[in-house]
Amino acid sequence: MNGFFAQVRRDLALGWGGRGDMLVMLGFFLIIIALFPLALGPDPEVLRKIGVPVIWIAAMLASMAGYTRIFAEDVRVGWLDQVAISPLPLALYALAKMVVHWLLSAAPMLVITPIMAAMLYLDLGKLAAMMLALGLGMLALTLLGVMGAALTEGARNGGGLLAVLVLPLAVPILIFGALASQPQDGAVISPHLLLLLAVLTVLLALTPVITSLALAECEAEGGA
Amino acid sequence: MRRDGAGSPNAGLVLDRISITRGGRCIQPALSWDMGAGEITLLTGANGVGKSSLLRIIAGRLRPASGAVRRRVPVLYVGHQDGLSPARSGRQNLADWAGLNGYASDHARLDAAFLAMGAGYFCDMQVRLLSRGQRRRLALARLMLGPANALWLLDEPNAGLDEDGNAALDRMIADHVGQATASTSQGGGMVMAATHLPLASFLSPRFLALKSDRDLTVPHPQDKDA
Repeated sequence: MNGFFAQVRRDLALGWGGRGDMLVMLGFFLIIIALFPLALGPDPEVLRKIGVPVIWIAAMLASMAGYTRIFAEDVRVGWLDQVAISPLPLALYALAKMVVHWLLSAAPMLVITPIMAAMLYLDLGKLAAMMLALGLGMLALTLLGVMGAALTEGARNGGGLLAVLVLPLAVPILIFGALASQPQDGAVISPHLLLLLAVLTVLLALTPVITSLALAECEAEGGA
Repeated sequence: MRRDGAGSPNAGLVLDRISITRGGRCIQPALSWDMGAGEITLLTGANGVGKSSLLRIIAGRLRPASGAVRRRVPVLYVGHQDGLSPARSGRQNLADWAGLNGYASDHARLDAAFLAMGAGYFCDMQVRLLSRGQRRRLALARLMLGPANALWLLDEPNAGLDEDGNAALDRMIADHVGQATASTSQGGGMVMAATHLPLASFLSPRFLALKSDRDLTVPHPQDKDA
């Protein structure tokens, strides 16, 4: 388990050192959302209606940009080889990558989400429900994204392939997440949130294992 | 040539009729070998004969097509890649690696490791600023953090090393296996290395010569006469 925390510490330090990537993703998130009022006009009624789905779709598309390089450097410099022969199971290494990626990319997006919500004239009384659903939804999406990154590692157009692979799988997250973000009765814990939690639980059990199977076959060029 | 460990039940590493395939082609049909504590094995053979693949199989990074690897000791592997993150310093990289494996990485141990490979003066610089030889020294310094009975798997360890670096590596290997004349360590480790450069004369390795399948299939001139 200490190996897990060593890996988390290392990735946090590396991620913080490369925080420019984080800002690019944040900028992407902001721009996608800002494009909608520009295209539809500033009518509050229209924006309020599409606000929640727009934020969800923007968050999903923006995070796609961050997944492609998750394993690339570890494979290139041979760190993955060292992890693979260490006592740390590859599934826990994958889980460390997921946790760190969620902290460094989804959490900053959550922080600016209230501003985005205000920009789209959303009912700020329901903000808590949306933040909770979005936080859990982004965690579920991160699990899928990291799995996709491992499956497409080394592919020539990994980024496009990854989006095509991951986004369809993320449809349940979007459906339950968007519904949980605008509960009819205003309760924070809605049945849809529980369904989202169920999806998250299944992904939490499956994706680290699938990721580890993909990584076990992953080799650097000229590595052998 | 020392064969003390051969066949004995306390051999640290046993390769049992391993076959290696690359890209669907069998490059080694059946390879058997064993090693005991204090031994050095040098892998020899032409390019592409499977030396690196064999090291990766022993490390557990590749699966053999058939056969089995049995080892009783932990392995430390230094491959073609150094396993160092360019954005972190040598010290941070080695501490990360020690944490990953559960080895102690206090300041004194790290300093001793850097001293052994002559990496003391650049170990706090970011790895991306270092030369190939300097990175190699850091990768090899990692070996000093592992346990004394470990099996070191070294793939072209002296690639990029200068003369001093080579001498430091030879000393480390000698200390690890306990073949050094004035050694402070008790030895007992094992080393398997694939290298085209000669090791120091005070080391007495056994040689495992891998044969290419081309050697087997190309008819000998005498066969044509027959």
